[in-house]
Amino acid sequence: MISVDGVIARFRRDLALAALLRAALMVGAAVCLLGGPMLGLSGDGLVPLILIGAVWIVLSYRSMVGARLASDSPSLIAAGNFEQAEKQIDSVLRSFSLFRTAKLLGLHHLALLRHAQRRWRESALLCQALLGQRGIADLSRSTLLLMADSTLRLGDLRGTLWALDALYRQRLGLAEALALQLLQLDYGSRIGAWEQMLSCVGVKVQLSELMPSINAARSQAFLALAAYKAGRMELARWLRRRVELLADAPEIAADRPILAEMLAQAW
Amino acid sequence: MTGPGPDFAFLDVATLLESSRPRGRWSGMRLLIAGCAAALLLSWFLLGQTPGTQQLFSVSLSVLLGVFVAGWALNGFLAVREARAQQRQLQIIEELIQLRRWPQAAFSVQAFLSRPARSPATRAQAMLFLAMVLARYHRFDDSVAVHEHILEEVLLDDEAVHSVQVGRAMALLRAENLLDADRAIADLRRQARAAGGIGESPGLALVEIYRDVKTGHPAEAIQMFQSRLAVMRRDLGHRLADAWALAARAYDMLGQSPQAEQAYRNATLLLPLVELRRRYPEIAPLADRLAPAAAPAEVA
Repeated sequence: MISVDGVIARFRRDLALAALLRAALMVGAAVCLLGGPMLGLSGDGLVPLILIGAVWIVLSYRSMVGARLASDSPSLIAAGNFEQAEKQIDSVLRSFSLFRTAKLLGLHHLALLRHAQRRWRESALLCQALLGQRGIADLSRSTLLLMADSTLRLGDLRGTLWALDALYRQRLGLAEALALQLLQLDYGSRIGAWEQMLSCVGVKVQLSELMPSINAARSQAFLALAAYKAGRMELARWLRRRVELLADAPEIAADRPILAEMLAQAW
Repeated sequence: MTGPGPDFAFLDVATLLESSRPRGRWSGMRLLIAGCAAALLLSWFLLGQTPGTQQLFSVSLSVLLGVFVAGWALNGFLAVREARAQQRQLQIIEELIQLRRWPQAAFSVQAFLSRPARSPATRAQAMLFLAMVLARYHRFDDSVAVHEHILEEVLLDDEAVHSVQVGRAMALLRAENLLDADRAIADLRRQARAAGGIGESPGLALVEIYRDVKTGHPAEAIQMFQSRLAVMRRDLGHRLADAWALAARAYDMLGQSPQAEQAYRNATLLLPLVELRRRYPEIAPLADRLAPAAAPAEVA
């Protein structure tokens, strides 16, 4: 199994090395182009320029292959093929890449894998390392969602709040907004913010209807719990009846004892 | 804002299928190679043959090489940007469909398919969205045509083929083409038996229940509903309401009023009645006799 601390250190070192090499190749190319004839380089700088170009192309190709390899991991993780996914991610993270994309994707997929393996601490650490990098616009939202969920499972509510706060400041797609709502309700139930959980309840119910069965049931179970705690019994009962139609109580309440407690009560 | 002109054909399937085909075109990279080769030949012709200008020829060769490398990088960057933009557009169309914002979804899918797609995969995805939008506007024959076009022309994996075939079967049922629908369902069943896993498909179960309700076989519809309820419950989300609504109609056809009432309440608890009636006009007779589940004021 890949050691998370080791992989984060290697990831940082590889990124620095790649940036250095990119800069060296670009400076070399500029010198050959502009100063080749004056410095008396072989073929007026043409030969070294061709060499630099060849190195760039070969390394670009390797990076592209790495990025393509990295893109296969999520489907392996979704299919529960963790061992194969781990091997693939390891090879992506070990190989040299001239560009950042393959390495960033590799680390993100490792965080995803650790999350699927329920290794919350490692997943949170990997997300933290990724979020410390600049220019990860495309990855930052999914990494923040992953981090919010991992820290929530760890009981690190301060970490969750930080991630949720960062997500509120981003423009989210529909799927991300749905994931955020579920996290927000889970967090709200842990701090007992019942009234806040019920703000814009109509919109939250509509968004829940767009989720897959288990998430739709869980999201509405949190809303039912909030309505129950806030004494809005008609709403609580209506939500609970919907929840019971969508999924079974043990499945909904997995890892959420507060929901198990509510669903065990008769009201 | 100006509206479409008089010749504007809204979601004209034949036109959109033709205009969206990915086309081989003179890409920027080919133009760059041709331009560099021409410049190389010209500079060799003008400078390379004279001994005094050979150094100038070498410099221009270096510059050309630099231009080529920079152009190559720029071309790659632009291609990636265009692919991402198309992917983003598809994501927006998908979100509009999920949110049931049908007019916006229709215009977006029309705009997407009105020009060549970058790849067959993005085109197939957009065509699938087009089929959904057409079904929403009750243009079921067109929806069937689009599904058939996807099945004929696009190479898809087994799971994707199955979901397109289920979509086609549903559109055939809505188009009252019961013979072809029955044949399509029989094909899906046969494939399901051969493949094993797909036999559990909630989509196929829903289509079969609908076929049985439509053709007056309520007992079979209820049997299918009961045997597949667990799978549909696991995978359909709030679309489980569709199955409950059809089951309510089937119970009603058999005269089993308490079960019909319960199933109708469950269906309307999960989805608004107006949406269910739009999807399945066959449940309209229930509305006069059965009471839908009442939603609290906060969410009504």
